[in-house]
Amino acid sequence: MTALALRSLRKRAGAFTASFLALFLGATILMGFASMLDTASGTSGTAHETLVTMASVVGGWGLLLVVFAVTSTLTLSVRQRSAEMALLKSIGATPAQLTRMITGEAAVLAVVASLLAIGPAVLAGRGLLALLHDTGQVPGSVPHAFGPAAISMGVGITFVSAVGAALLTARRLARGRIADTLAGTDSGRLTKKRIAFAGLFFAVALSEVVVTVTVMKDEGSGAMATSGQADIFAALGLALLAPAIVRRTASVLAGPLRRFGGAAGDLAVTGMLRRTSTMAAAVTPVILFTGIAVGTLYLQSTENAAVAAAGVVKTAEDKNIETLNFVVIGMVVVFAAIMLVNTLVAATAHRRREFGQTRLAGATPRQVMGTVAVESVVLTVIGVACGSVASLFTIVPFSLVRVDSPMPEGDVWTFAGVVALAAVLTGATVAASTRRVLRTPAIEAVAA
Amino acid sequence: MFGRKTAPPADGSGEALRLEGVRKIYGTGDGRVAALDGVSLSLPAGSFTAVMGPSGSGKSTLLQCAAGLDRPTEGRILVDGAELAGETEAALTRFRRERIGFVFQHFNLLPTLTVMQNVTLPLKLARRPVDRGRAADVLRRVGLGERLGHLPAELSGGQQQRVAIARALVARPRVLFADEPTGALDTRSAREVLALLRETVRVDGQTIVMVTHDPVAAAHADAVLYLADGRIVGHQTAPTAEAVAERMTHLADEVERQRVPSGVAGR
Repeated sequence: MTALALRSLRKRAGAFTASFLALFLGATILMGFASMLDTASGTSGTAHETLVTMASVVGGWGLLLVVFAVTSTLTLSVRQRSAEMALLKSIGATPAQLTRMITGEAAVLAVVASLLAIGPAVLAGRGLLALLHDTGQVPGSVPHAFGPAAISMGVGITFVSAVGAALLTARRLARGRIADTLAGTDSGRLTKKRIAFAGLFFAVALSEVVVTVTVMKDEGSGAMATSGQADIFAALGLALLAPAIVRRTASVLAGPLRRFGGAAGDLAVTGMLRRTSTMAAAVTPVILFTGIAVGTLYLQSTENAAVAAAGVVKTAEDKNIETLNFVVIGMVVVFAAIMLVNTLVAATAHRRREFGQTRLAGATPRQVMGTVAVESVVLTVIGVACGSVASLFTIVPFSLVRVDSPMPEGDVWTFAGVVALAAVLTGATVAASTRRVLRTPAIEAVAA
Repeated sequence: MFGRKTAPPADGSGEALRLEGVRKIYGTGDGRVAALDGVSLSLPAGSFTAVMGPSGSGKSTLLQCAAGLDRPTEGRILVDGAELAGETEAALTRFRRERIGFVFQHFNLLPTLTVMQNVTLPLKLARRPVDRGRAADVLRRVGLGERLGHLPAELSGGQQQRVAIARALVARPRVLFADEPTGALDTRSAREVLALLRETVRVDGQTIVMVTHDPVAAAHADAVLYLADGRIVGHQTAPTAEAVAERMTHLADEVERQRVPSGVAGR
């Protein structure tokens, strides 16, 4: 089975691109921040504390995102190979053997991705330290170090999260019956475990909210430390509930879309109702992207307004903290954006056969594009709506603390900009990858 | 010419499919392979024709070209008097959905759509009025009147193929093309599917062209065309399974005999 894992990695490299990219980027971020621990080993006092906090806080929720991204891309790639899995089962592969193959693939990917990530991570760590130098939080005499902590944490965490994600995916797959795997439909019903995890994430998000408005009430900008992460946890919670949300939305929209959307609307609705999990997987990155971006941008603009209202002129240090805030969050948002593109490309490529069958039933390429367009509009709306809700977990408590109002300070155009970016990323990715898939003649597409 | 039926069709409504000098070349330079090497034929409306030939004889290519799924390199194709032309896939799609129905070996039903939705999909895509009553009638005729709300995965292979036939018939195609329609079925389901095809010819005057490698399947047709090396090499009316099997066994020798003189002259 290990040999089979290696072979499928080599022969089908394309199928693993999404997981690989998620692992590579995740490892880069993890190692970049973990290298602050190596750097801290030669320091003491405030500088030491700053570096350790940096590594553990930011690295901590970075880890969460990596596990989430890897699980979702890996689930997608395994589901895409459901026919292959069913074939292996039917020729006598036991569930344990399939599990070994999937985890084997993930383990190899994780090792290669984290080793390749060392170079970029050194650069990222240097950049991070340079920012800390500039803000004066760490004396300029402290040099950047990249050593055992960075490498062991980076490789170790990436490896563990990849294998863990693979085990989760494989267990679900191995339990399914062959017939189910071949049927190609799913209702997207939530498992108890999924609901429990979603509840856990919401509980963490809410506790951050409570801590922000009570303990951190008089801490001023210090409240960022607790409120800044609430949106991430809320977004993860909503992402776990995404299948249920997609199903509900699709059944509400079914009437009007069937009536006014023509054949394209009809096909889109049916797809969303009958293949809910796949659709939900595509919504997840949109939720994360919108939630984190909106939350953090308004966090910062509220902070700016509060500083201005206090009549204090912004010090150089304040400005640098702002920059730092943007850099850190920028990395996470870029990560979410790449995951978004990744997931959508992979999900669309998998629909080659479905598109081929639709074309053979009489759909012009335009009608297929129309169906996909309706779907991506609905997915974007759901993702943006959920992401906006998630961002409130950060925005409302922080605004209450800083400007005594649940409404954040800042421009409504910031929100519009994030939404537009999410819509453009989703729309452009889906359109481009669908067009590529449609280039294969229909009769070949169904044969594969 | 092989395959040209000179006798007038039973119902007198004329020609359903006509191919004139159709060639299909794959590859370029030394790698050029002629999958179809000048095929001409004419099939009357209401006929049921089986196309047989060994693997690689070009029978699938013939079906795909005649059905507008692929463009021939050379030659003309007319369906019900209208020439299959147009460069874009959209143009070919529009041509197909007005005149042509398909049944494939692997059914190609959309897994997310119910039986009823699968059958009405071509009408919806063609923006034609969806007559659910007629769709239900056709499904009842193929024996699936009770299964309208089922998903394909909940049906047996034979049932799925009957859904595919209903889907093809509901749009009232001029020609129904079937590519190994029984290839993935057990003997009993295969016989049911063939009887169903036979019946649409008898009752509705449907024109059917079926590619197959199974002599038993071919015996359900009115006539058999034999294809080898991209050419029509034989024609047989009122076939029986035994006669078809016999002919197929000797086809290789026959082709060899026909090819040797022309092959030498050609090269």
